[in-house]
Amino acid sequence: MLQLTPQAMRIIDIYDDGTHARHFTFEPKGFVHDEPISIGQFFMLTLPGAGIAPFTYTSIPDKTGRFNALIRNVGHLTEQLFHLKIGDVLGYNGPFGRGWPVGLIEYKEVLIVAGGCGLAPLASTIDYLIDHSHAQSITLLYATRDSASQVLKKERARWSSNIKLFEVFEVGGGSDHSGLPTQHLSHLLNKDERYPDIVLTCGPEAMMIAVAQSCTELGLKTSDIWMSIERRMRCGVGLCGHCYVANSYACKQGPTYRYDEFMALESKTVAFEKHQNLFQYC
Amino acid sequence: MSRTQVNSICPFCGVGCGIALVASDNNIIAVQPLNKHPISQGKLCAKGWNTPFGISRHGRLTQPLMKVDGKFKIVSWQHALSYIAKNLKQFISESGPQSVGLISSARATNEDNYAAQKFARAVLKTNNIDHCARICHSPTVAGLKKTLGSGAMTNSIDDVGKADVILVIGADPTENHAIIGGQIMKAKLCGAKLIVVDPRQTRLAKVADLHLQLKIGTNIALLNGLLNIIFTHNWQNDEFISQRCEGYDALKAHVADCTVEKTTAITGVYGADLVKAAKLYSQANAAFLAYGMGITQFVSGTNNVIAVSNLALICGQIGREGTGINPLRGQNNVQGACDMGCLPNVYPDYQSATDKQVRAKFSRAWHTEVAALPGLTSLGMSHQARHGNFRGLLIFGEDPVVTDPDRNKVAQGMRAMDLLVVIELSMTETAKMADIILPAASFAEKQGTFTNCERRVQLIHQAVTPPGEAKVDWQILKELADKMGLPELMNWQTTEQVFDEMSQLTDSFSGMSYPRLKLNNGLQWPCNKEFPDGSRCLHSKNFPIGKGKLIPVDYVLTDEIPDADYPYWFTTMRLHFHYGCGSMTRKSPLLERETPIGLLFIHPQDALDLGLKNHQGVTVSSRRGCVETRVEVSHQVSPGLLSMPYHFKEAPSNFLTNDAMDPNTEMPELKVCAVNIIPLPEGQPPRSSVLSDIGSRND
Amino acid sequence: MIDAKKIVNNQYLMNDLGILKRHLAKCYSIVQIQKDVDGENLWTEQFSDICEPLFGHDHLPLTSPKGFLFAEKEELYKFDGETFKTIVPQVQPKVLFGVQACDLSAIAYQDKFFKHDPYYQKRRENTLLIGIDCESPCANGFCVQVDAGPHVKDNTADLVLSRLNADEKKGSSEWLMIAQTEKGINSIKGLMLDKSENKHLKLRKKLLEKVRSEFADYSYISNAIEYLNDNSVPAQLWEELSVRCLGCSGCTNLCPTCSCYSTYEVVEKQPDTPVSISTEVKLEMTQSKTIRCWDSCLFQGFQKEASGHNPSQKAAQRVERFWFHKFSDEYLPEFQRYGCVGCGRCEQTCPGTIGVHSVMKRIDQQCCS
Repeated sequence: MLQLTPQAMRIIDIYDDGTHARHFTFEPKGFVHDEPISIGQFFMLTLPGAGIAPFTYTSIPDKTGRFNALIRNVGHLTEQLFHLKIGDVLGYNGPFGRGWPVGLIEYKEVLIVAGGCGLAPLASTIDYLIDHSHAQSITLLYATRDSASQVLKKERARWSSNIKLFEVFEVGGGSDHSGLPTQHLSHLLNKDERYPDIVLTCGPEAMMIAVAQSCTELGLKTSDIWMSIERRMRCGVGLCGHCYVANSYACKQGPTYRYDEFMALESKTVAFEKHQNLFQYC
Repeated sequence: MSRTQVNSICPFCGVGCGIALVASDNNIIAVQPLNKHPISQGKLCAKGWNTPFGISRHGRLTQPLMKVDGKFKIVSWQHALSYIAKNLKQFISESGPQSVGLISSARATNEDNYAAQKFARAVLKTNNIDHCARICHSPTVAGLKKTLGSGAMTNSIDDVGKADVILVIGADPTENHAIIGGQIMKAKLCGAKLIVVDPRQTRLAKVADLHLQLKIGTNIALLNGLLNIIFTHNWQNDEFISQRCEGYDALKAHVADCTVEKTTAITGVYGADLVKAAKLYSQANAAFLAYGMGITQFVSGTNNVIAVSNLALICGQIGREGTGINPLRGQNNVQGACDMGCLPNVYPDYQSATDKQVRAKFSRAWHTEVAALPGLTSLGMSHQARHGNFRGLLIFGEDPVVTDPDRNKVAQGMRAMDLLVVIELSMTETAKMADIILPAASFAEKQGTFTNCERRVQLIHQAVTPPGEAKVDWQILKELADKMGLPELMNWQTTEQVFDEMSQLTDSFSGMSYPRLKLNNGLQWPCNKEFPDGSRCLHSKNFPIGKGKLIPVDYVLTDEIPDADYPYWFTTMRLHFHYGCGSMTRKSPLLERETPIGLLFIHPQDALDLGLKNHQGVTVSSRRGCVETRVEVSHQVSPGLLSMPYHFKEAPSNFLTNDAMDPNTEMPELKVCAVNIIPLPEGQPPRSSVLSDIGSRND
Repeated sequence: MIDAKKIVNNQYLMNDLGILKRHLAKCYSIVQIQKDVDGENLWTEQFSDICEPLFGHDHLPLTSPKGFLFAEKEELYKFDGETFKTIVPQVQPKVLFGVQACDLSAIAYQDKFFKHDPYYQKRRENTLLIGIDCESPCANGFCVQVDAGPHVKDNTADLVLSRLNADEKKGSSEWLMIAQTEKGINSIKGLMLDKSENKHLKLRKKLLEKVRSEFADYSYISNAIEYLNDNSVPAQLWEELSVRCLGCSGCTNLCPTCSCYSTYEVVEKQPDTPVSISTEVKLEMTQSKTIRCWDSCLFQGFQKEASGHNPSQKAAQRVERFWFHKFSDEYLPEFQRYGCVGCGRCEQTCPGTIGVHSVMKRIDQQCCS
C-alpha cells in the first residue's frame, strides 16, 4: 500500500540564494531513506496547515540522510515556507519519479541548458558527473532574467573549474550574454566543432521546448534531448491526477522526459496554440 | 458512520435548483443534484457543487461575541441579547424608533424575513427594514409596479425552452444563474435566436446570434431606438396594444426622434444590428426577455426597467408561454425577502406601509401598534448614521462593507452607530466591525422556504444541527422580542407556524401550506382562490393595474463619466466561481484556486498603452477611494472600459463605486463610474484591503 | 479487487430477495437505491424496514455508488506539531445491494486505479458487491458500446442477481443468483438455496440478447471513439464545444470512473481565540489535518502552477482531454477497458449541453463530412 502520510523532517540550514529564492537543507526526523534516490527525482514537501508541493533534490541525500532543495517564493505554500526557521518540522514523502539518465552519459559531451530555478533539478547531475569524471566535457548554458536572479551561488562556484559555464541574461547582459538561451545555442554548439551527444534542459516549459526545437534544427536527435517537466502535484504517486501529460503522469513516468517521448505524448491530443508566456523565469 | 440524505434547495442564486445534502456524523460531506427537480433536472453549477465547503462547521461562528477593548470576547446568549435589548430600548426612548433598524438577509428563509419585518414594525415600531434588493432589483420592483402593477418575473424559467427568440439585457446568466444560462444555450442549439445586449462580451454574447455591445449606461437610448425602429416599420403588436395597454400615442411621439443614426451615435451599436434585433424581437412568436444588474444598477435604474417594459408591451411579448419580462433575481431568497415585506415601504405581499388600512390590518392581526413613520432604506440608514441620527442596527447575513457602494462611506456609517449587531455564519468584513456578533444557522441547519426568481416557493429541510450555539434567525428575533418585553408577539414554536401566520395575512400566499408545497415541488405565487395551484405565467388576461402603462422615459448620462483625471469607464461583474462577498464560495479550495485574488479586466489595447503585462499589479482609483489588484487582459471588455468582480475582500471594487442614487428607489449606480489606473512596478504584489481583526484597514 | 483466478460461479435460484437481505443484514449495513419522498432515486443506507429493491432502467440513480469507496472527502493524515499520523477510515461492513453493470465496471476500473491506495482499499475490502442485470436500456445509457453492460460483466461483483421472470399478478419474481467470488459465497453461507440448472443460465443469456436488441442506435458513439483515437477531431470543434463548459464539475462528480482529487489543510482552532481570523500559520501551535476531496480536470485551475504556468489554460484543451481520458486506447493496457462505462450521467447533468451524447454526436457529424 502507498503511504500518503508524510514522514517528519527538520530544517537545519537556510540561506537566501537568488531573488526570491532560498536554499534549504533538510534532515529526516525519525526515519531513514530506505530507497536509493536517483538524480533528478523529486520529493513532496508538506507544510502543515498550508499544503503540499513537489520540489527537486538539489543534492540527493548523503549518508546522514540530509539533502538540499532550492525553493523559490512564488505562491501560497512557498510564501508560508519562507516564514520558517531552522528547527521547524515539515512533512516529507519521496523519492518519486524518473530521474536524469546519468547512466547514458558516460564519456559523452553534455550540454546542459538551465533557465532560472531550473538549475536546481540539474545541480545534482552536474555534481555527479564531475565527481565521477564521467563526462567527456560538460557545458552549462544558464539563462536568467538578470544576474541577481541566479541561484545556487555556492554550487556554481564549486563547478566553475570543472565545467564550461556560459551565462545569459534577459536584462543587463553585455552584448554577448544578453537575450534568450536559444539565441546562443548555435554559437555554443559550433564553438568547439563538437556537438554535444546529449542535452539536458530544465526551466520554464516554453523555454525547454524552444531549446529542444533549436537543438533539433541544429542537427541533434530528438532522442538525445532530455527535459524535466514541472506540473502541479498533490500526491506524487499518480493518484491525484493533476500532473497529467496526455496519458502519463509527470510524477511517475516523468518528471524527466525525453524530447521525442514528450512530443509523442503531446501529439495524442490536438496541439492548440498555447499561451505564449515564454521565458517567464521562475 | 452512515450517510443520510436530505433534499433541499441550493443556497446560492435565484434559480433555486434542487440539491440533496449528504450528511455523515452531523457534517455535510457532499451534495448531489436532483433529477426530478423541475428546474435543475439533475444539474448544479460550480457553486452548488461546492456547497459543503461554504457551510462547513470549520470556520463558523459558534458563540455570541462582544467587542470589549477592541477584542472579541465570547459571551452568553443571555448576556448578548439583554445587552442588545437594553440598548435598543434606550435608543428608541431617547431618539425615537427612527433611530433603529434591521437589514434582513436575502439568503435567509421567508420565515426569517417575515419575522424580521415583524420585529421591526411590531417590536421596535419602526419601518426601517431593508435588504440587499435595494442594490439589486429595487428598480424592478418599483418600475414594473408602475407599468404592470407587479414587480416579479412574469413567466417561468422553463419558458426559455418555449421561446423562439431570447433577449438578454444587462445580465450574464451563465455566470450567476448558470442553470438558466445553460437552458438559454440549449434553446439556441435547438433553434431559438439569441440576442445579447451588454457592454461586455459575455459567454452568451459569444454564442449569440446578435451581440449589441452598447456603450455602458446607454440602455434607454438603445431601447428607445428599438421602439423607434419598430414603430417605423409597423412591427408593433397593434392588437395587444389596443386591448392591453395605455399611453401608446405619447410613447410613439416620444421616441419619434430617437432615430437609428442618433441611437448609433449614443450607443455605438450599428444601425443594421439595431434593426435586426428590433425585427427579431417584435416578430417572434414568443420572445423571452431576461435582464439583470446591467439594467437596474443605475441612477436611471427605474427608468431603465420601464424602458424594458415598454418594449415588451408594445410587442405583446408578455402574458403567454415563451414570453415575458423576466428580471433574474440574484439571491436564493431575494424574491422572498421582498415578498415578505423587508422593504421600508411595504408589508408582506407588497401591501403599502403608508396605507392606513394596511397598517390597521396588521396591527389587529399582531395585537399591537405598528410603526407609523415612513422608513429608511439601507443606504438611508447609513446616511442618517453618518449624521448622528441613526444609532442601532441589526444586520442579518449581509456584508455591506464588501458589497455596498462607496465602501469608505459604508464603513464611516457603521462606525458612527452606537450599536452594530451582525448575525452571520462566519467572520466577514462587516462582522469585524460589529459590536456584537451572533452566530447563525445555515440553510442546511434549518427548515423553511425560499422563493426563487420565478416566484416558486420551495421547502428546504434540515440536514445537520447548527454548530455550537448558533441559532436560526427567527428564533433569535423571538428571544430578542422576549428580552424587549414583548414575548407574545413572536411566540412561534415551529417554522411552519411562522409560514402559516404569514400566508393568512397575504393574498399571494394564501393558498400555500407546507403540505401543499411538499406535494408540488413548491408553488409559484400568486397561489390563492383564483389560482389554487399557483401561477406559471402572470398577466395572461389583465395586469394588476388593468392595462399596462407605456411610460416615455429619457436617456440620461450616468452620474459620472470619464474625464482627464479619471479617464476610464469602470463597471462591476460576477464570476461563475464565486458568490457575493465570497464568504461561502471562497472557503472551497477548488473555487478559490480558479482566480487570483481580485482581477481587473482590461482590453489588450489599453494594457499595451499602459505597458501592462497580464496579471501585473495596478492601483485603481476613483473619486471615492482606491484599491490594488491585478489586471486580466481580455477581449471581454472594449477599449476604455474596465470591469471588476466584486467578490474579493482583498480588492473590493466598492472602494471605487459611486453611490449616486436613483431618486425612485435609492438604488446606487454600482454599474458605472470613472476610474484611473496606475501600474505597480512589475513583480510587486498588490496590497490587500482586508480589514484587521478589529475592523480597521491595514494601511 | 476481484481476482480473476478465484472466480467460482455457484449458481442458485431465489424467489424472495428479502430472505437474502435479511441474512446479509446480520453482518452488513445494507445500502441500496431507494426512491425518496420527492421521487428521486438515491443510494441510501437502510436500517429499518427492508423493502423490495428497485430495479430496471427507470431506476438508475443520478449518482453512482462511487462515494462509498472513493469518498467525496477523506481525512488522510494529521499533524500534532511533531509527527504526522495516518487517519484510518472508520468503516463498517457494507453491502451495495443492486449495483448496475455500468457502475460495477466502473468499480472494477477504480479497483485497478486505486490498487495501492490504503483509504480506498479499506473501504473496498469492507464492501460486498451485489450486482443486478439490467432489464431494459436506461434513458442515456450506452453500456453496450463500451462493453460495460447491460448484464453484469464477469469478475465485477461478488453476487450477481438476474431476474429470470416476474409474475406481476402474484407480485413475485424468480431470480438467478450467481456467487462469483469467495467473499460472495461466504456471505450466503447458512442460507438454504436451490441450485439452478443449465436452462436458467440459458435463459439469462437470452434475456441479455433481448435487452441488447432494445438499445437505440448508438453507432455515432462507436464512430466518434474511432475519430477520437485517430486524433482527427479538429481544434475548431473543441473550441466550439468548450465555450459551453461552465466548469461546474458536474460531469467529473457524477462520472463513476473519475478519480482526480485535491488536498487541503484544516487547521484546528487555537483554543483561546474564539474565531480563527489570522491566516498565518504558526507551526508550533498547529494541529492540522490534511483532507482530500474530489477535484475536476475541467477547472481552469486544475493544472495551474504557482508560477502561473498553466499547461491546460484553454477550456478547449481541458474538454478534449476529458474525452481522451474516457475513450483513448492508450489506457487499455492498464485498465483493459475504456474509462467510460456508458452510464450517460454526464449528459443529464451538464448545463452546457456537452455531455457524452452531445459531444459524440457532434464529433460524428463533423468528422463524417
